[in-house]
Amino acid sequence: MIGFLHPWVLLGLAAAGLPLLLHLLARREPPALEFPAVRYLMETARRHERRLKVQNYLLLILRTLLVLALVLGASGPHVDTRLGAGHVPGALVLVVDNSLSSGAVVDGVPVLTQLREAAGRVLSEATPADTLWLLTADGIPRRGSPEALRQSVAGLSPLSLRMDLGEALRTAEDVLRGSGQIVVVSDFQLTALSALPALSALSVLAVRPSGSPPANWGVTSIDPGHQPWTTDGGAVRILVSGPAQATAPLTLRVGDRPARRGLASAGVPLGISSPTVPAGWWPVAAELDPDEVRADDRRVTAVRVLPVAGVAWPSDEPYLLAAAEVLQAGGRFRRGSEVALGFLGPNASVVEPPKDPAGIEVLNRRLGERGVAWRYGRLSLEAVASDSGELVGRERVLRRYGLEPVGNARTGVLATAGGAPWIVRSGRVVLIGSRLDPEWTSLPVSAAFIPLLDALVNRMARGEVATVETAPGDPAPVPDLATEVRAGNRTWPVEGGARFRPPEPGIYYFLAGRDTLGALSVNPDPRESELTRATDSQIRGLWPGTRIVSTTEAATAGFFGSARADLTGPLLWLALTLGLVELLVASGRGSRA
Amino acid sequence: MAPVSPPSERPRLDLLDPHEVARLGGLELVTQGVVEGFLAGLHRSPRRGFSVEFAEHRMYQPGDEPRYVDWKILGRADRLYVKQFEEETNLRAILVLDVSQSMGWTGAPGSVLTKLAYAQRLAAALALVLLRQRDAVGLITFDEAVRSVTPARARTTHWHQLLRVLSATTAGKGTAAEPALRRVVDLLRRRGLVVLISDLLLDQELALQALRFLRHRGHQVMVLHLMDPAEVRLSGPAEARFVDPETGRAVTLRPKDWAAAYEATVEAAVRAWLLACRREDIHYFRITTDTPFGLALRAALTQAPAAV
Repeated sequence: MIGFLHPWVLLGLAAAGLPLLLHLLARREPPALEFPAVRYLMETARRHERRLKVQNYLLLILRTLLVLALVLGASGPHVDTRLGAGHVPGALVLVVDNSLSSGAVVDGVPVLTQLREAAGRVLSEATPADTLWLLTADGIPRRGSPEALRQSVAGLSPLSLRMDLGEALRTAEDVLRGSGQIVVVSDFQLTALSALPALSALSVLAVRPSGSPPANWGVTSIDPGHQPWTTDGGAVRILVSGPAQATAPLTLRVGDRPARRGLASAGVPLGISSPTVPAGWWPVAAELDPDEVRADDRRVTAVRVLPVAGVAWPSDEPYLLAAAEVLQAGGRFRRGSEVALGFLGPNASVVEPPKDPAGIEVLNRRLGERGVAWRYGRLSLEAVASDSGELVGRERVLRRYGLEPVGNARTGVLATAGGAPWIVRSGRVVLIGSRLDPEWTSLPVSAAFIPLLDALVNRMARGEVATVETAPGDPAPVPDLATEVRAGNRTWPVEGGARFRPPEPGIYYFLAGRDTLGALSVNPDPRESELTRATDSQIRGLWPGTRIVSTTEAATAGFFGSARADLTGPLLWLALTLGLVELLVASGRGSRA
Repeated sequence: MAPVSPPSERPRLDLLDPHEVARLGGLELVTQGVVEGFLAGLHRSPRRGFSVEFAEHRMYQPGDEPRYVDWKILGRADRLYVKQFEEETNLRAILVLDVSQSMGWTGAPGSVLTKLAYAQRLAAALALVLLRQRDAVGLITFDEAVRSVTPARARTTHWHQLLRVLSATTAGKGTAAEPALRRVVDLLRRRGLVVLISDLLLDQELALQALRFLRHRGHQVMVLHLMDPAEVRLSGPAEARFVDPETGRAVTLRPKDWAAAYEATVEAAVRAWLLACRREDIHYFRITTDTPFGLALRAALTQAPAAV
C-alpha cells in the first residue's frame, strides 16, 4: 500500500496536463513562406511523418511522466515493502505517554489501556534483531528486548508527571543518533506538544487513540496567601480548570479540621476561609469530586500557623499606641515580649529611629551586637514619596534616616522611598527609616498603617515562611540548613543548597534536626488537566513529516521506517532519467534522418 | 593613361561570389569578365580533340600543354613558343533555359542571386566561351511553354543577340521542359550539344523522356541543375507553412525538426537525377547559386562531352 507524507502536494498532479495544454496552446497558424522545393518537403513528410509523430507522442509522454514523477516525488511517497514477511532490522524508540492525562477514562476504558495495547502491537512486530528503547513520562530511555519491553509496557500506569512530547522526541533522537525511527504512542494533548528545531532524517510515527477526550475538572492552583497564619486561620484562593459555563463543588481541608466547601467555576478564583487551626505546620488540600481524571482532582499545599504575637510597644507614641491597641482589640496582637514594636528589644523587633538624633549611634552599636546587617545613616530632610510596593503604598516621607547595609549586602529591602531603602529586614529585626509620626511620614495617619504593622509584626519580624511549589520529578531548592526531607513516614537525607526531586505529589517538609524549616508542595503540572487533543495538522505543523495513525493501525504501521520504502529518491532519479531521455529524444528528433 | 595591371594581378571575376560579381555591371560586362578570368585560369583547352588549323605562335606560359610547344623554334632560337590553332566551327549547341516561376526565387534576396539571374549569367558565359571557339550557339527559354527560340549562330555578334534575349527574360509561371526539349530537334539538324539549365522542379519522367529522345537523336546532353542554398539546407522560423509558388501546394512543419530528413530527401532526389542521367549518358551537374561562375563553368566545360 502506498502512502504520502505530504498528500496535499498531489494537487500538483494537475500539472501533468501542462505539456498537452502547452501543445494545444501552441497550435496557432504559422507564417507562410514561399518555397519552390515544397515537393521535397512533401516527400520528406511522406517518408518521416510516422517516425516524427511517434517521437512527438513519445516526448509528450516523457514530459507528462516527468511532471508526474516530480510531483509524486515531492509528495513523499512510501510503500509497504513487507508483504507480511517481517521487516528490515532497525533501531526504534517507542515513546509511550503515561503522563497524568493518560489516566483519563474514556467510555469506561482508561486512555493508557489503549496506548499500552497500541504499544504492545508495535512491539509484537519487533524481532530480536531490532534495537529497541522504551521512553515513558519519566524521561528515561530504557533499552530492552521486545519481550522485556512488552512486559514493561504492560506494567505501565499513569504517572503524575507531565510529558513534553517535543522533549521526548529530542531524547529519542539523541538515543538513535540519526538513524532509526520513533513511534510516539500518546493521547497527544495539545499542551504536551512542543516544536522541534529539526528532527534530522528520522521517521516519526504518531499513534493516537480514537475518540474525543472527556470534559475534565482539575484543581490547577491553590494559594494559602501570606504566612504564617494565625490560629484564627487564613483564606485560600483556588483556581480550577474545566468546562466553561459550569460549576463544580470544591472542598477545602486544612489538616484534620472540618472541611469547607464552595462552588468553583473554571478560571475564576475561589476564595475559601479556613477554620481556626492550632499552631504548627498544616496540610491544606483543595479537592474536587472524582471525575474521568482522578489525579488532578486534588491539590495540596502547606501552611505554618503561629499563635498571635506577644508584642511590647511604647506608651509615649500616640499613633503607634493607637494602632497597637486596635490590633490588640482585633486579636492580632497580645501583650507580651515576643516582638518589640518601635524599639530594639531582645527578640524580634520592629525598630523606628529614636527621637533624639544622638541615640542613633547607640542604636547602631546595638544593631551591630545583634548581628543586624543594616545601620541607620544620615538624616535627610528631603521630602520624597515611598515607592508603591506590596507592603507599602505611596506615602509622603518628610524626614528619614538613610538605611545603610553593612558591607555589600543589600538583601532584605521591604520598601523604598525616593529609590532608597526605607524599610529593611535582617533576620528577625525590621528597621524603619522614619519615625512613625506625621512629622516624619504620612504613614501613621493613612489607612495602610494598621495592616502594615500587622504584617511587620506577625510576618516579617517573626520570620515569613513560604512554601515552595513544584511538580513531581522537577528539582526544588533545599534550604541552607536542611538535613532531611520528610513526607509522611518517608525521609530523604539532603544537603542544604542542593536540589531535591520529589517523586510524587504531596507535601514534603525540610527539616533541620527537630526544626521544620519549610515545606515543599508537590502537585501535578496543571497543563495535564487540559485534555484537548491536538489535531493531525497541528501535529504535522510542529513535527513536519510525521505519519499519524490510530491505535488500531499501530501493528501495521509499526516499523514503517524499515518496512516502508521511501519512494522519493527513486522517483526523483526516475524524473532525472526521464529528463535525460527527453533531452536525447528532443535533440535526436532534428538530427536523425 | 591608366596603368594596366598584369593579367595575373587582375581579380578573377569567375572565382568571386556570384552576387558580388552581378553587382559589378550589366550582363555583358560581367559575363565577359567572368569568361576572361575563366579562360585565363584554364591550364588546358576545355575542348581537346577539335579539328584545328595553325594560326600563330605565342610565348609559352606556365600551364600550357607541352605537346603544343614548337620544338623547332626551341632548337633554333632556344626560346619556348607554343603553337596556337584557329578552331574550326563544327559544334552546334543549344542552351535550354528554364525561366519558370520557381527560377525567380532566392532564399536570401540580399546576398544570393535568384536561380534565374544565376542561370542568365551562366548561360551567357557558356555562350561566349562556345562562340569564341567558333561554335554555333542557340537559346530556348521556357516555363510552362516555350517562351523564346533563338537559332544557333557562330557569329561573334550573335552573342549580343543572345544577351538581349537573356536580359529580357523574366520568371514565368509553371514548368514544362518537354516541349522545349522537343523543340531542340527542329533547331539541331545535325548532332550537337544540348545544355538544359533548370532547377528541375518539374515532371522528372517527362523531362527524362525528352532528354532520352535527344540522346537517341545523337545529341550530347548536359543538365545543369541549379539549386538555391536554402533549398539544400532547410531553415526558417520555429514553425512555418511552406508554399510552392508554382503549384500553390503547401506543407506546415517545424524546420528544425525536419532539416536533417529534408537534406536526405534532397540528396536522394539529386542522386536519382544523377543516376537517371548517367544511364542515358547524360552529363549532370548540380550547381548551387552561391557557387562562383568560374567553378560552375569549369564543372560544365572541362567534363563536357567532346564535340561531335
